[in-house]
Formats: sequence, structure tokens, C-alpha cells
Amino acid sequence: MVTGSDFVPTDDDIAIVAVSQTPAYRLWNDSEQMLIMRCVNDLLGSTGMDRNDVQFTIAGSCDYLSGAPFAFVSNIDGVGAWPPVYESHVEMDGAWALNEAWHRLMLGDIQTAFVIGSGKSSPGTPRHVFPLQTDPYTAAPLGLDYPSIAGLQANALINAGKATERDFAEVVARSRRAAMSNPNAQVSGDHSVDELLAKPHYSSPLRLHDLPPISDGAAAMIIARGKRALELTDRPVWIRGIDHRIESHHLGLRDLSSSPSTKLAGEKVGVHDGPVDVAELMVNFSHEEIILREALGLQDHPNVNPSGGPLSGHPIMATGLVRIIEVARRIIEGEAHRGVAHASSGPALQQNLVCVLEGGN
Amino acid sequence: MTDLSDLIHTIEYPYTRSTGPYLGPFLTGLRDGKLLANTVGGRTYCPPIEYNPESGEDAPATFTEVGPGAMVLGCTWVTDPSSKHPFSHPFAFAMLLADGADVPFVHAVDAGSPDAISAGTRVVAQYRDDRRGAITDVYFVPEAAAVDQSIEPGDEPVLITEHLISLVVREPLFPHRRRYAEGLLSGRLLGQRSPVSGKVVVPGRGYDNLNRVPLTEADELFVSDRGTVSSYTVLTPVQYYGQKETEPYIRCSILLDGTDSPIIGVDVRDIALESFRVGMRLQAVWRAPAERKVDGLDNRFGGSWEDVIERWEPTGEADIDPDSLKDYTW
Repeated sequence: MVTGSDFVPTDDDIAIVAVSQTPAYRLWNDSEQMLIMRCVNDLLGSTGMDRNDVQFTIAGSCDYLSGAPFAFVSNIDGVGAWPPVYESHVEMDGAWALNEAWHRLMLGDIQTAFVIGSGKSSPGTPRHVFPLQTDPYTAAPLGLDYPSIAGLQANALINAGKATERDFAEVVARSRRAAMSNPNAQVSGDHSVDELLAKPHYSSPLRLHDLPPISDGAAAMIIARGKRALELTDRPVWIRGIDHRIESHHLGLRDLSSSPSTKLAGEKVGVHDGPVDVAELMVNFSHEEIILREALGLQDHPNVNPSGGPLSGHPIMATGLVRIIEVARRIIEGEAHRGVAHASSGPALQQNLVCVLEGGN
Repeated sequence: MTDLSDLIHTIEYPYTRSTGPYLGPFLTGLRDGKLLANTVGGRTYCPPIEYNPESGEDAPATFTEVGPGAMVLGCTWVTDPSSKHPFSHPFAFAMLLADGADVPFVHAVDAGSPDAISAGTRVVAQYRDDRRGAITDVYFVPEAAAVDQSIEPGDEPVLITEHLISLVVREPLFPHRRRYAEGLLSGRLLGQRSPVSGKVVVPGRGYDNLNRVPLTEADELFVSDRGTVSSYTVLTPVQYYGQKETEPYIRCSILLDGTDSPIIGVDVRDIALESFRVGMRLQAVWRAPAERKVDGLDNRFGGSWEDVIERWEPTGEADIDPDSLKDYTW
């Protein structure tokens, strides 16, 4: 059911006016710039804007993934290398690029921004890359990889009596089934929970299907301030709020079976100040959905990750932005009026960003 | 013919980190066969912590020994270890609470079987024979498998800990780069012409970055291997890790005849620096076909020039006016 709050946008409100994403590819055999260019051309085409009309560009990407130093500089080719753009970059998922762009537009002197997230994980080995994000003295030399940390977190969830391996399999079964209607999904299918539980462990209690696929891909959007947003589209998606919270990088200082940072971000951003028609959560490992639903008060919500979520496609550095795009797209298409998107970064949901979106003009 | 299969690059960097007043004593302890902890806010931390996470106040740099026993609070069984893990056979990562400590840490347990470890399992620290003052000096085993070790303390405190980072990157040559590589092996330089601007770039990028247009095989053409020096510098090699150069050499950009963007990163070693200049005309002298290789090529800017072109020879033609090359320095 599509419902609304009493929100009336003003010129100081900021809206998503167009969204674009590539499919998640197991291997995109061309440059990351080409992925970005496809999204940028798509956005310009759908809004009728000239590239020079977009006043700010911000991208999230990670040079470590494809092993190409300064790849983030050549990524600007995808936007058009000349005339120079007013540009910023975050070594974070594109969801954090949106966070910066949203704050940037609040200053009021510019009206529009490109937000981009892109990544090619296929050339490298994520399991080797991401331990380098952990503590360089006490964790990185152990090769403490994300699947192993996720295994520790899933085990903590079971030890706390909050979930079972069957619950994890149910998340996977539902996600892959949902992904069957998502043309951008890389992994989809109809699997029974028992069939999934019969597979061997990978990083126990997780199995390989509890992990995200390795993907290449990009996502992008154009956001604009109130008046300009209404000039550019008759279906603006208003950003009602974004909040980002971080927990300690010492895993031993955290209760891995819960996500207080997500809970706090959700409260600050007012997730339940209106009806939640749809939620897209950055569930990189199946057990995370259980933790995130609890943190956001969405335990029994019927419409979480209708895209299939990251378990069906995980273009690292775009995955979080894709969550926001998936919610925005449903609002644009009239399937939802108000929704919640979540993005995470770091091991075991260390950092969490929650964004509330709402339609209406 | 050189194999045009996947590109494989290894990116390595040997990090040498100073250890400081907290982790230094901790890592010295590991080298000497001890687990050290410190206490702040009434809680004992192993590894030691620099600050009280509750208040941010400095923690004392005074240490007590904890362990060697520890309790498993949670674990994951790693069925398929990566090359970066402490063991090449299946093992457990576990959240471990050392005896005498209040805050757990993650480390590896060589438990033999997933059935041998779960929350509540008692484990004991074991030390490697080859200890380097690093977190990898220690590992854990279930209590019953522990052996007594006699460890001689070292002389000097551990002030530096080393971690060699090594990432292997593997990808196919992109289709346009493959065609470019095949051109090099046949002694020809393949460029791409934008259908929008008409500008010719070599090597092509697979797109026109000014007009955001993808370029295809239909936009490709062979260009001249004769051109003009448009800029240069002299590189004096610094002897960093992995450096292979020892002598100063010229690195230049050359605007090939009929193109609109210079080739870059062309190294010249056999023309005297005193006579080298912007505007100078050069002609490629290709290696014999059997000697050409492209395995140094990547998917980005590199032209792999020296692997296919033996040297660039002055043509003796009159120089081009350097002023006319100002827009082609890079």
C-alpha cells in the first residue's frame, strides 16, 4: 500500500531526480570508466541535461580493488574529461558520496550534483584486499578476511540465541528468489532452505551462498535542490535524512550480535516517523539481514530487499548506492511512497548509513 | 607470438611500522613468548590499548602478563584458507578471552577439526620458532594439544613490525587493448579516431573521454611510427623497493604524425641528453618480430614501448617549432 506523511518539500530540500545502474557482472571485460560512462549518459538522457549543467561531481571507488593506482582520477573520463568538473572523491561506497553531495547542496550555492559509485572486484581477490582495512598491527597480518569475520559475527548471533543457520538460509532463499525479477542481478534462483542447508560450510556457520558474489558494476544518480528538482522531473524522490554512525575497529570491543550504530542512525533519521513501504538493506552476508532488521525495527517487514540485495549482486563501492537507487526507483515508479535504504562499510557492519526517501511534489 | 592471455600483476609494498609505547611492548612480549595486557577503566585489555574506549583518556603504558590460557567466546571454521592466513590447512578464527583479561581479541586456533572448537573451548598460546615481533608470532591450540615451550627472550625491544603487502591482480586484456597488442606484435601502432571530434588517440582508451562516446573496432586505424618530441624529463632513479633502474634516463612524450595526443612514457637511453629537445623528429626502430613481446602491457595507459620498439632514431629532419607543440605535452 502506498501511503504518505504530511511532508511538503521546500527549496532547501534535496531530491534524487534520476537514477541509473549497470547490471552486476561477474567480469566486465572493459574499463570501469565505461561502466560509469553508461550511467552518466543514461542520466543525461533521461533528464535532458547537458553534462555542463551538473555543477558538482562526487564518486566513491577503491583503487585497491582493481589494483590500479589513481584509478579514481581516470574514472572522471566517464563523466567527460573536459571542461574540468568540480569534483570530489570518497574512498567509500557511493552511498557516502551521496551523503557528501547532499551536504554540499545544502550550502545552497549550487543546485545539482552527480553521485557515482563504481568498482571492479573481478581483477583482484577481495579476500586478500579487505584484510588490509583491518588493524595493521593485530589483524591485517593474520589475513583476517571479511568472510571469516562474517563467520565470527554469524556465530555470535547463534551463540546469543538470536538466529539459526536455517534463518540464514531463509534470507538467501528469499533474496535469490526476489532477484529473479531483477534484471541487474548476477545471482538468482529458486532454492529450498533444505537444499541450501545441505551445502558444506565455508566460514562456519556460513556457507558459500551466504556470501555475496564477486561483481563488477557501477551506479549513479543526479540530485538537485528543491526548485531545480521540480524543473528536472515530476517524480522527485526527496532525501528526508541521512545518518552515518561508526563502531570501534576493535572487534573485541563490539557486541557482534547487534548493530548499535545502525540503530542509532535509524533513530536519528526517523525511520519510523512515517510508514516504511520498502527497505533495501546492504546485506553482504545473509546473517546481517537479521541484525539490520532488528536494529531498524523491521523484524517482520514484508518488503525488505525486493531487489534481492547484495547477495544477488555486489559491485563493491556501488552496492550501497544501489540500495538507495532501488528504493528511489520504486518511489519514482509509484510502487512506494516512503522507503528506507541502508549501506554499510568495514568488517562486520562496522559503519552504517541510513537514508530515508519520500516521494511527492 | 607472445601469449595474449590474462594480465597478471603483483602489487607489493613492505610496510615497516613503528610499534610505539603500547604495541611495542606487546609485540616484544610475543617474541619472548608472553601475552601482555594493560588495564584502564577497570578493564584489562590484551592486546594493550592506548586509550580508554569509554572516556578517551590515555591508558597507562604499564603491562601485566595474561594467559597463556584463553577461552573461546565464538569462532568460525575456515575451510578454505587464503594464502594470507596463518595456516595453509583448515583452522579456526576465534574470539579469545585470555585468562586475566576482560576484553577479547581475534586470533587463529589450529584446532585440527571444526568439532574440536566452539564457544567455551579452552585454548593455549603457542609460539612459532621463527618469531619476528609480529602478531603472527603466536597462535593458539586446544588445551590438550598444547606443548611446553622454552623461549629465550630477545635482547632489544621490538620497535618496528614488518608486514609485506602483496596483491595479485588478474584480468583479461580489454578487447581494444588486445587489438592494440596484436598491432604491436605486428610492428604497427593502432589508434582510435573519435567519430564525434575526428581526433586520433594512440593507444585508444575504448572511448572518447571528451565526448563520452564508446569507440569500437570500426573507429580504429594504424598510425605512423614517426613523430615529434613534445615534452621530456630526465629521471634519476631513487632506489626504492622494486626499483630496477640504476642510471638516469630520458622519459618523453612523442606526438606521432597524424595523431592528436602524444604517446607518453617513452624511455630513451641512447640519445645524448645535451642533444635531446622538444621539436626533435624521431622514428621508431622496431625489434625483430620474434623479439617483440607485450606481457608488460596493462589495460591502462602503458604502451609497453621498449618491449616492441628497440629505440627511437633521430630522422635528421628539421625540428618542429616547439611553440606548436604546447598543447601536446602530455
